Amino acid sequence: MKSELKAWVYLAPALFFLVMFTYYPMLQVLWDSFFFKAYGQESAQFVWFDNYKRLFADPAFSQAVRNNLIYALGTVFPSLAVGFFLALALMKSTKFRNFARAVFFFPTLVPLIAAAALWIFVYFPNVGLLDYYLGKLGFGPTQWLGDSNIALYSLMLLAIWKNAGFYMLFYISGLQGIGEEYYEAAELEGATWFQRLRYITLPLLGPTTAFVFIIALIHVFTYVDHVVMMTHGGPIGSTNLVLYYIFQNAHEFNDAAKATASTVVSVGVLLAISFLSIRTMERGIHYES
Amino acid sequence: MFAKQKFIAAALSGALLASGALLPSVASAQEDIKFYFPTSVQGRLALIMKEVVNEYNSSQDKVHVTAVYTGSYAETGIKASAAMEAGNPPAVAMVGANNVLDFVQKNQIEPIAGFLAEDGSTATQFLADFWPGVHANAMVNGDLYAVPFQNSTPILFYNKEAFAEAGLDPEVPPANWKELIEMGQKLVKKDGDQVVRYGLEFPQQVGYGNWILQGFVMANGGQYYNTEYPGEVYYDSPATRGALQFYDDLAHKYGIMPDTVTPSSQVATDFFSGRAAMMVSSTGGLGNVRDNAQFDYGVAFVPGNVRNAVPVGGASMVIFKGQSDAQRAAAWDFVSWITSAEQLGAWSRVSGYFAPRISSYDLPEMQAFLEEHPDAGVAVDQLKYTRPWYATFNYLAVAQPMGDALQMVVSGKATASDAARRAQEEADKILAPFNNSVGYPVE
Amino acid sequence: MSTNASRKRSLPAMLLFFIIIGSVTVIWSGPFLWMIIASFKPQTFGGLDMASLAPNFKPTLDNYRMALMSAEFGTLYINTIIVTFGTLSVQLVTVVLAAYAFARLEFRFKTLIFYMFLMQLMIVPPILIVPNLKTIVSIGLDDTLVAVMAPYFASAFGIFLMRQTFKSIPRDFEDAAVIDGCNWFQVLRYVLLPLAKPALVAFSIVSIVAHWNEFLWPLMVIDSPDKMTLTVGLASFTRAAEGAADWGLIAAGTMIVMFPLIVAFVLFQRQFVSSFMFSGIK
Repeated sequence: MKSELKAWVYLAPALFFLVMFTYYPMLQVLWDSFFFKAYGQESAQFVWFDNYKRLFADPAFSQAVRNNLIYALGTVFPSLAVGFFLALALMKSTKFRNFARAVFFFPTLVPLIAAAALWIFVYFPNVGLLDYYLGKLGFGPTQWLGDSNIALYSLMLLAIWKNAGFYMLFYISGLQGIGEEYYEAAELEGATWFQRLRYITLPLLGPTTAFVFIIALIHVFTYVDHVVMMTHGGPIGSTNLVLYYIFQNAHEFNDAAKATASTVVSVGVLLAISFLSIRTMERGIHYES
Repeated sequence: MFAKQKFIAAALSGALLASGALLPSVASAQEDIKFYFPTSVQGRLALIMKEVVNEYNSSQDKVHVTAVYTGSYAETGIKASAAMEAGNPPAVAMVGANNVLDFVQKNQIEPIAGFLAEDGSTATQFLADFWPGVHANAMVNGDLYAVPFQNSTPILFYNKEAFAEAGLDPEVPPANWKELIEMGQKLVKKDGDQVVRYGLEFPQQVGYGNWILQGFVMANGGQYYNTEYPGEVYYDSPATRGALQFYDDLAHKYGIMPDTVTPSSQVATDFFSGRAAMMVSSTGGLGNVRDNAQFDYGVAFVPGNVRNAVPVGGASMVIFKGQSDAQRAAAWDFVSWITSAEQLGAWSRVSGYFAPRISSYDLPEMQAFLEEHPDAGVAVDQLKYTRPWYATFNYLAVAQPMGDALQMVVSGKATASDAARRAQEEADKILAPFNNSVGYPVE
Repeated sequence: MSTNASRKRSLPAMLLFFIIIGSVTVIWSGPFLWMIIASFKPQTFGGLDMASLAPNFKPTLDNYRMALMSAEFGTLYINTIIVTFGTLSVQLVTVVLAAYAFARLEFRFKTLIFYMFLMQLMIVPPILIVPNLKTIVSIGLDDTLVAVMAPYFASAFGIFLMRQTFKSIPRDFEDAAVIDGCNWFQVLRYVLLPLAKPALVAFSIVSIVAHWNEFLWPLMVIDSPDKMTLTVGLASFTRAAEGAADWGLIAAGTMIVMFPLIVAFVLFQRQFVSSFMFSGIK
């Protein structure tokens, strides 16, 4: 019983902040989402599901959801793939490879807002870094952020550049954890490079991939700094992501009701994903420990 | 010409003074007040503003103003309002001219009449020295709440060398939409399929783009919004649809402007690099054009259609509630000083904004300046066509659907009438809770 | 696998490998190369010809001078340091205590509570900006640096990482210490924490980087410019300079914000890399 009490004492500080800034706000926002407070009025009215009705009737919200899905697909898989192949190439430690690793990893360390500041110029039409050098190769100028068909993909490219090096690190450590004996055995069997990749490396990296996948998912739902900095969700809402939509409604549009309702929806989606991913993570933990 | 070296030297000395001001000051009867200010078109105006405030601080010893740069107009409005709610407002803030309504609604700023009465004046007497075009945005329900400080209108800049090259008379800019189309087509230059010079560009990001569009709508005979009542916008009116159709034609039918969304930074860069022969942009950018255009450029009225009309833009000084009497007095002292004819004139000369006070233009420095820079004179001449900047309830939210609509039309994603109808529907939804006496959205 | 494979690579294959990886590396570093070069480049009219990476100009410090004058980088730095290290110090206490409980003690609802923490890995504070802002306002903490830090005081990631680390340390060490008469604090202080040092360092580096870089929440919760953090200051600085196409100024401002990270990374590259790797394998 002494252990029981001790445990609660040790847990108390962390639990206090966890409840205060994760679980209490989750309940609070759920409760708030059933109220509507008109501009200039003192008290809020209970309105059942009207905020949700308004939310789902808002084309900007459905667009943000759609954009976020495209953004998630187009960012998570490519950056995992790039991270994986970089890891394969740079796993062995040599001077050159260590330098290259540092170059790929460095974007992870810098603030997304600083990266976005630089990439505004990278993407600037005609005179920007990308168009300037593409121009030397004979390509015409592109409206990387001004064309609503392209802008979201431009943000994805930035996100891949920013995060692939991070995932590369996980894959490098994953690769280093695979025992030589597997490959030696495979070589004796006459397995090709691709076969070894397919039947040894990838399966054994399963836990790493699961872990990295979850981190990447968190990234795509919780980082919208580049949207704030580069596009404000435009042109025509083509780069609006759900969190930016929440931010905009709460911070600029005085629409707390829509902001709370959309927060509840996002929390719901994230909860669903976490229930699924906890299983994966658990498996990951058992592998490792 | 605004010499950069001189400016840097001045700014440096300003910075030295500012760092001196950071040192703990000896206890004195000096009243310390905070002043929030934004910049809109040129970031370096922030440096000059700090210098101006230092000049005020050293001109007297009763008041010390700390100038705090707070970003864009929108950000400054949000921050000042939030600071007020948190009980820690700046004494004075420079806010977007169409933001004044919002502060009045939230009961956050002082009417100016009270200060004027102490000086033995009235709002009517006070406003008599301000251009009529700037009055409306400073007033809410007939009361004066703000003192105009820097004002601008959209204006047409054109590259005279490009005109000559296209066989046009460099001294005759387009005067109406028809000429804009004719000349614009001639000014477009292509290398194969690639456009290397567009006829015209103007800012199209949400906010700035809405302001420019308001000008085109009014030039097309429309109102854009209800100037008498802030709960109504005319997004789906014939004049607005016509202006959007004009955008559509410029981008797609005539190929005079790009068919993608151009933000202000790109418009300016394209104009400087000769990739856009004309641009419609704020007069607040005049200083920037003077410094950067490496070619002969002209300035002209924005071409009208059924009439000439441009919205006034810019920012005004407001004084926040919740101050002690001493702070209130200090705030008014500073606002009076910085909005004097001399200061407004000086600010106009470095920035390119026009001075809202008529008497600023009677000063000898100003007349000499206008003689040297006729382009600044064009901006002043255009003042007779100015109308108020759209101001509505919750205007950032109301601006968004129209910003999206104009971008859709430019990008070829919607026809002018579809875009206008959608923008109107969205704006009506946003305005409904304000207009509905129950304070609850109409289904 | 590549250790094995590379042993047998032929010369052309090796050459191809270096060319590909080399050029990808160069492209990847492009934005940073540009930042460094542009920050020393004299401003050309309207920002034209700013993209060239060829150093065909006389370097100038004007951009830095202008940047330092246009934003209060000193204040921004101090605020950011307070936020970053303030968050970390509270986190270290909450994380180590909670992780110890999970790793070593038995109590009711242990699994449930552990999952409650795990869940926070997904329901991260940025998603909850709206209700968290309400909480912060209601306890009167809005527009303070504490408000910027508070939602991060309990770190699920840290607890998860430290729990794994503590679990991997054999109990014998502690038992021996207890027999020697150590109390729980001494056991923690002299046995567990020294053995868990790599994990602690890893967690600290990850936490510092995360909070140095945080943007949306401080943007929401801070109104007074004298309480802003570097990222928030950089954002409004950049937007103003962008309007005038002052790219050299943006490059210099970004450089000023990133400088400590660059220095720290160059000095402790191995430490950084292994910290982030460590955070992954556990």
